[in-house]
Amino acid sequence: MSTSRKNYDVVIIGAGVVGCAIARELSRYHIDIAVLEKEADVGWGISCRNSGVVHAGFNYEPGTLRAQLCVEGNKTFNELCLELDVPYKKIGKFVVAFKKEEITELKRLKKQGEENGVEDLQIVGTDELKRMEPNIQGLAALHSPNTAITSPYGLTIALAENALKNGTAFFLNTEVTAIKKNNSVFRITTPKKTFTSAYVINSAGLFSDRISRMAGAEKYRIYPCRGEYFILDKNTSKLVNHLVYPVPKAGYGGLGVHITPTVDGNILLGPSNEYIKNKGNLSSTSKVMKMLVSESRDFLPLVSNRDIIRSYSGIRSKQAPSSEGGFWDFTIGESRMVENFINLIGIESPGLTAAQTIAQKVVKIINKKEKLKISSKFNPFRKGILRFEAQSEDVKKSLIKEDPDYGEIICRCEKVTKKEILEAIHNPLGARDLISIKYRSRAMMGRCQGGYCLTRIIELLKEKFHLDPRDITLKGNHSSLLTGYRSNEVKIS
Amino acid sequence: MTEKDVIIIGGGAAGLAAALACRERGIKDILIIERNAYLGGILHQCIHDGFGLEKFNASLTGPEYAQRYIDLVMSKKIPYLLDSMVLDLNAKKEILVTNRQGLHHYHAKVIILAMGCRERTRGAIAIPGTRPAGIYTAGVAQELINLKNYMIGRKVVILGSGDIGMIMARRLMLEGAEVLLVAEKLPYSSGLPRNINQCLYDFDIPLLLNHTVIDIKGNGRISEVALAEIGKRGGIIKKSKRKIPCDTLLLSVGLIPENELSRQAGVILNPITGGPEVDERGQTNISGIFACGNVLQVHDIVDNVSLEAEYITEGIIDYLQGQLKKHQAIQIILSNGLRYVVPQKILTLKDTIFSFRVNQPGKKKTLLFEENNTLIHKTFFSRVNPAEMLRVKLSSEELENIKRLTVRLV
Amino acid sequence: MNRKFVCIICPNSCQLKVEYEDKTIKKIIGAQCPKGEAFVKNEITNPLRVFVGSVKVTNGNFKLVSVKTPNPIPKKYLKHIGKITHSLEIAAPVAIGQTIASNLLNEKIDLVATRKVRKKNLSIKK
Repeated sequence: MSTSRKNYDVVIIGAGVVGCAIARELSRYHIDIAVLEKEADVGWGISCRNSGVVHAGFNYEPGTLRAQLCVEGNKTFNELCLELDVPYKKIGKFVVAFKKEEITELKRLKKQGEENGVEDLQIVGTDELKRMEPNIQGLAALHSPNTAITSPYGLTIALAENALKNGTAFFLNTEVTAIKKNNSVFRITTPKKTFTSAYVINSAGLFSDRISRMAGAEKYRIYPCRGEYFILDKNTSKLVNHLVYPVPKAGYGGLGVHITPTVDGNILLGPSNEYIKNKGNLSSTSKVMKMLVSESRDFLPLVSNRDIIRSYSGIRSKQAPSSEGGFWDFTIGESRMVENFINLIGIESPGLTAAQTIAQKVVKIINKKEKLKISSKFNPFRKGILRFEAQSEDVKKSLIKEDPDYGEIICRCEKVTKKEILEAIHNPLGARDLISIKYRSRAMMGRCQGGYCLTRIIELLKEKFHLDPRDITLKGNHSSLLTGYRSNEVKIS
Repeated sequence: MTEKDVIIIGGGAAGLAAALACRERGIKDILIIERNAYLGGILHQCIHDGFGLEKFNASLTGPEYAQRYIDLVMSKKIPYLLDSMVLDLNAKKEILVTNRQGLHHYHAKVIILAMGCRERTRGAIAIPGTRPAGIYTAGVAQELINLKNYMIGRKVVILGSGDIGMIMARRLMLEGAEVLLVAEKLPYSSGLPRNINQCLYDFDIPLLLNHTVIDIKGNGRISEVALAEIGKRGGIIKKSKRKIPCDTLLLSVGLIPENELSRQAGVILNPITGGPEVDERGQTNISGIFACGNVLQVHDIVDNVSLEAEYITEGIIDYLQGQLKKHQAIQIILSNGLRYVVPQKILTLKDTIFSFRVNQPGKKKTLLFEENNTLIHKTFFSRVNPAEMLRVKLSSEELENIKRLTVRLV
Repeated sequence: MNRKFVCIICPNSCQLKVEYEDKTIKKIIGAQCPKGEAFVKNEITNPLRVFVGSVKVTNGNFKLVSVKTPNPIPKKYLKHIGKITHSLEIAAPVAIGQTIASNLLNEKIDLVATRKVRKKNLSIKK
């Protein structure tokens, strides 16, 4: 790298799954990397808020980056998850035709998939579908055995932790407010610190258009498009064995309302597809919530309102305006206006599947210019928090013997032990919000939504970090759970 | 594998009363398994009074009521485990318990399910809007304030006029917070009438019937809710929508019996009560597994929980001693006016206590037990309210030779 | 003056309709027992309530001891007592019925403990 004074070689703006994947890929080399993230933890944009699907690649137009990077990403995803100790289940997907006219679409998707290099796609008839999915009545279906599911927040956190371990510096709660370039050095201003670097990678997701403009690069425009979901109780996990998607409606701009099992045994209904004005508007809406249930029940009548645990939503970074709908291809490349400023714009589905392949592409861009040196210290392996519940009885017994904190269950619904919660609290990135603990331990994700464990987790947080009650937050600034101690409140009317 | 005669899962009101009743009837080999660091369950956070009016002829607070039973359990040296969670229960009545000392396998001749219930959440009732901090179910708020000495907010909106919501309204006011209103989606309050007086009217807290929360705003912490009136046909009256700035939303929107272990064991649950389907002895479909307390049906008065636990002990003793009462299967048909009746079936002949809830509030109602058109038993109630569980005893003489019992409210 | 009350003496919770002038009851409809009239009389002259709340405990197995006034106190004092509990503290052990504070507001209002609190177990958790 050039020898002008700078504190980093590469600054990555945005610690979503793509930003963290890029950090990890770059950390294979002898370079200094910093990741700047405006939220209190990694992945709080769309990365933690999607369906967690590892797509096979038949939904994308041949020749596009989406198609190519998805298919490649799919092939190496299992290995990635093994390295990073992230859940991965290759359960396969059915795209189901319920009307005769939809069967043509199945054939089109199959052909498109094959053109993209997707393997093992098969069209099956009613009987075969019924055999594999007894609760779905369709005319025919496209079976994609290579579609898989993972934990999107698990992966984002794992990528970040591995990058961190391999030398990347992470700066959370660090929002970029200005980017200037002097000679060949970028000056990136944030409220607490100014960073300087030779390269800037713009993986700011929803705000990547803003970041690009800030740097004087291309004037992209991101249109936020919200997808709402319902999470169903684990008691519904036997309803389906695969992902089940109805045939997508043309020009829909999303992939339709699906039934998506999660790696933990829940089922997701959704997502919806709605262009919105405000990029931060994660509201669930009554209209969509009704639609999610009624549309899912159209092809899976056993879905019931009673099974709903929770709703959530994510916002896609779309480059296609609402008047157009549909999808634009990924924009990945060095800016033509600002040298060494690499833009990643409009990374929506299949951004999760392609996270690593996108990262590799970015590394190639830099490598072409810099001839990066591989670091022998790079360790691709990362161990996550051991899930007590998933262990055999013998292992459970020895775990408790070694550390009695494994014998204390804090989250009853998900059977998460005190030890796991403590490990989540003391995570390598230093994230301390309840949501961060939730994503790392699974506590509070069960049917009682923290009814039993919330007070216990609050107590543990307070004890371990000697916090004032007001500093216990749900998700970053201004999200305090408590206003203080009971006995300090001395208001009386 | 440790063998026990009776294992009671849950050391709250139901579990303690069941343990005592079993001991009083001569069962020695009992074990109570409790997940908290103390016995007494939810009673410890219910610091208001009104408990024990029937059982002890006094108006006790929750902790006092609990202590009466805890003292008896201690004096009779009934064994119990604290900080212990049952991870698994199967139909063979084997359980797996975990605590800091390790994993433990038990097998019991009789398992008493006494796990209580959990609260219905915001997520489950799908309130639209954002998901900020400051949204609490009433029980969690109660625990934070009454057991952990925290304050949860300053300007509170409460959804649900169930007892817990109203009790918390008063609690919050006495602790210096401002409760702006209580919204209730039904046309009547779902809690005990005296709580409306003591918790809402006393503090001039408006009770808005036929209202619900239709939106939540706020990114970090909640900043506002939107309320709307519900029309006669159940839809939202759009013109009635108004925004209420607040920093806390408390939900008191229902309790759900905590039957995950029951499900694991293959116990059949009733969709209306949310609890196991039981017979006149309190026995579930699995021989030797009994249920009592909130896990069986959500109670409103703890005295009834204790009475229910004591009642099922009769059946438990018979089971352990191999004594079978006269076999007589009676099908129970539920008719108008009733939300549910427990037990859902009768298999043997004995004096049977029926618990039930009505669908609508009413005055001067009679509960009729009939076979075809023959009257078996009737009880008059001057007032009935869905919020108040009613209990009626039918003797074995009354039930003799009956095959089909219709229960209805007129 | 006409007003509705819910009698709180027992769970019957009789809904009473009362006609009264100043502090004299003219008519009560809906009471199922004589306690209803006594209750209403109190409500219009000097409404009384039992206060329930919590007080901090030092060194106990619970952080707070739940408390109550042994007898109903004038309703107007409830919030003031609530405020006072914020500044009270008592050391474990605490027995049920133990007096935590006396003669609050100089009105002979006492607070008694309603929860048994043991001294915190100081042994290290295994």
